[in-house]
Amino acid sequence: MAMDLLVEAVVYGNLLSLLSIGLSLTLLTTRVSNFAHGDFATVGIYVAYTMSVLFGANPYLFLPFSFVGGLLLGFLVYRVVFEPLRGKASLVTLMIVSMALDFILRYSVQIYADVLQRSLGVYTRGIVFKDVNINLLGFTFPGLLVISSAVAWLFLLILYLFLYRTKVGIAMRAVIENPSLSEALGINVKRIYALSWMLAASFAGVAGVFLPFRITVNPDTGFSILLSIFAAVTLGGLKSLLGSIIGAYIIAFSETVGVYYLSQIGLSTAYRPAISFITLALVLLLYPRGLAGLWSKR
Amino acid sequence: MIVVDVVFFVLDLAVLYSVYVILASSLNLEYGEAGLPNFAKAAFFAVGAFSVGALSVRLGAVFLGMALEGDFKLNSLRWAMSVSQSVARNPFLGLSIFIATLIVAALVGSVLGVLASYPALRLREDYLGMLLIAFSETIRIVARNYDPLVGGTFGAGVVDFLAWAGSPSREILLLFLSVVVAAIIWIVYYRLSASPFGRALRAMRDNELATESLGRNIVKLRMMAMMIGSAMASVAGVLYAYYVGTVNPDDFTTSKTFLITLMVIIGGSGNPYGPLVGPAVYLAFDRLIQFTKQRLILPFDPNYLSYIVLGVVLIIVVDRHPGGIVPEKPTLTLPRELRSLLRQRRVEETWNRQ
Repeated sequence: MAMDLLVEAVVYGNLLSLLSIGLSLTLLTTRVSNFAHGDFATVGIYVAYTMSVLFGANPYLFLPFSFVGGLLLGFLVYRVVFEPLRGKASLVTLMIVSMALDFILRYSVQIYADVLQRSLGVYTRGIVFKDVNINLLGFTFPGLLVISSAVAWLFLLILYLFLYRTKVGIAMRAVIENPSLSEALGINVKRIYALSWMLAASFAGVAGVFLPFRITVNPDTGFSILLSIFAAVTLGGLKSLLGSIIGAYIIAFSETVGVYYLSQIGLSTAYRPAISFITLALVLLLYPRGLAGLWSKR
Repeated sequence: MIVVDVVFFVLDLAVLYSVYVILASSLNLEYGEAGLPNFAKAAFFAVGAFSVGALSVRLGAVFLGMALEGDFKLNSLRWAMSVSQSVARNPFLGLSIFIATLIVAALVGSVLGVLASYPALRLREDYLGMLLIAFSETIRIVARNYDPLVGGTFGAGVVDFLAWAGSPSREILLLFLSVVVAAIIWIVYYRLSASPFGRALRAMRDNELATESLGRNIVKLRMMAMMIGSAMASVAGVLYAYYVGTVNPDDFTTSKTFLITLMVIIGGSGNPYGPLVGPAVYLAFDRLIQFTKQRLILPFDPNYLSYIVLGVVLIIVVDRHPGGIVPEKPTLTLPRELRSLLRQRRVEETWNRQ
């Protein structure tokens, strides 16, 4: 039982860290509190699902396609929606635009699911992916644990190397620090912003592929986990990538363990989402600097 | 037969339009005029509906001296029917239930609104929006799982307080009632917006410090805006619950908040006419799609389209016509150039602030 809980928490933490790092990246660069972020994950799910139905292979094989799909979607979203508003709209207006974007993406996926169901004759709601077992060092692990951990940590490592070891990554950090100064120094801020949206959406797309191994998914699954992502980012301090990764694992563990204790004291496990909502509210009310406030002086 | 169809079509449209006008007016007062992004709108809407769901049956039983035995979750629909049968013989009972639930909803809504105004003192506006969304979803999750309130996922039965009128005069009464309530609320909102109070709210939105230095109490202004706005949203919830006839917590997700917000921005935030235009735009698209649905065979459910259209319209409006379809008119005490200059400076400040 404890082992199952641990596995569940780690997998969920991997997922949430991929999602929350993207959300905080676009929040840091373009200052959009993106309510459509969960829908990027949904798009990733449906890309992988369509491919696996068409080619009859395990969805893990189509991770790269969800990644590329996310890249394209992120680029499109930034170029079409947010670039024209750069420097023009207030923070809440950007938030509201992302609500509109959420409607567009979520209901487009609904329509896509309907069309797919009619044309291929497969279920497109309540999707579950079948997991594989992996033998490692004589032990058998659930494939989801191994693959999601490997992918999540590889991605986080690549993002770290990108931000600290490459010229473009350093430019991105400069833009986060001071957009007008970076622009004056010849950095193409628009391109950096587009890149941050591409990274955010592609990370979310990859995270999405892991979701149907855990829970049954629908076109609104991404939206329903949105507040958990926000809780992770808020707990991390809203201004720190490292903070949101740690926040993601803390939220994942407290949701998984919390739900276990809820069922122990006879409360419905359906209270589970309330754990992250309450965390979000408490952090904002009591200590808005979040985890990052522990090490950063800003 | 056609007459009945027309009555139901007009009823549906009129009630939904009234409910959306009230909700959009309340968000426009809070966000458009006072600058408070109250993204817990769905929750305040729900407060009204939950008051009806939780109280109409129980109050009816108290008035009738009826004993309610058994589980609320399993029996509320049945109880609602038996109370409605008594209401059919006793119009006064129906009206007392309606008025009592309306008062309770407005009171609970305004108290919660005052509570929700306190975080606004410390938080930046976008964080406030996030906090209120979390608050809203927490209320929904609790209502969904705490059965005695409104029957959890089963929903609660609602007494038909107009049962004495009989169809179709019942429908016509309901139609008039909702239109009259919406009209009263909108006129109150219009008068507030044009009053010194409304000017103070807009001043607070544009520059808090300056407003405070001119002797306005920011805390009180915020509290008043949230209190009035939340009470308005609760009244909308009451109308909606009596119209639908059941109350289900899953009707009040954050998507509802998104919908209302988009209507306000598309209609024109800060202008009292905006909340009349925004819901009209949405309902026009929605009904148009319903009509074409019957004539076209599409491989998907066309209801989804109205949300997509609304989203696209919002993005176009924000990009091309940021004031909305009817933009806010300048308050005549300051020249127009000065106002737009001030607003532009405010946007630049938020962008350059680290």
